[in-house]
Amino acid sequence: MEIIDRLSAGDPEKKKYYLRLFLDTLEPELGRLKSCDVNADQEPIRSILHKLKSQVQTIGAAEAHTLMASQEQTIKGGGAIDQAGLDKTCELLSELIQNLQDQL
Amino acid sequence: MSKHLKIALVDDDIPNTEVLRDFLIRNGYNHVDKFHDGESFLESLDRFDERAVVLDFDLSGGGDLNGLEVLEAIKERSPQTHVIFFSGQDSLEVAVESLKNGADDYIVKSNAAFALVKTSLDKVYDLQVLRTNEKRNQRISWALALGWMITLVGVALYVAN
Repeated sequence: MEIIDRLSAGDPEKKKYYLRLFLDTLEPELGRLKSCDVNADQEPIRSILHKLKSQVQTIGAAEAHTLMASQEQTIKGGGAIDQAGLDKTCELLSELIQNLQDQL
Repeated sequence: MSKHLKIALVDDDIPNTEVLRDFLIRNGYNHVDKFHDGESFLESLDRFDERAVVLDFDLSGGGDLNGLEVLEAIKERSPQTHVIFFSGQDSLEVAVESLKNGADDYIVKSNAAFALVKTSLDKVYDLQVLRTNEKRNQRISWALALGWMITLVGVALYVAN
């Protein structure tokens, strides 16, 4: 969030603009992630994780970023994540979205 | 200080591209365009004559081309354009491949990534300034040499007469 705070430089409207930009991607992608099936091909999961991990990093959600990066690597390396892992990611993303919405 | 370097950001990550663009503008780069897929960027390449491109590897959210394919097309059509790879892939293979194909730098998206992109663009900008100065100095040298030649011919004609 540091970069967003720096760029918005105390302008609350500018900060809201950035937060909405991230929410516009995070919310639908979380919906897509929740509907993924861990027992099927996990490439769609990897693709969503790849897309979102840079964004959660920019927002400053370190725990979510570390988990998502590690899950992406697992799938890329030919492994698979389990339902509990996917649920944990969705939970962290939901908290992050709630946190961003609270700041609007 | 305003830095005159035409920059294109090519990344399917819409919010991060917007934040990076604002960050670069805040740091003096006043001409930054955004493209969310390789195809639309390549269409504009000839028209806009970008001098530096910050290019993501995985553009699957935008179009069919990946960053390496876009890099190849840039180098074919505009070899003088500088390309900085900016990727979420911490992959040695992609890094080596991009540098082998003419990328100037490979930056992995991380906490410090925006600052690293700026540092890399600063180098491109400095190089561009250096080249412009070299060309200007060359023109001045030629003008001086020509001036001397005209003077010498004038003197020679004067002495001959």
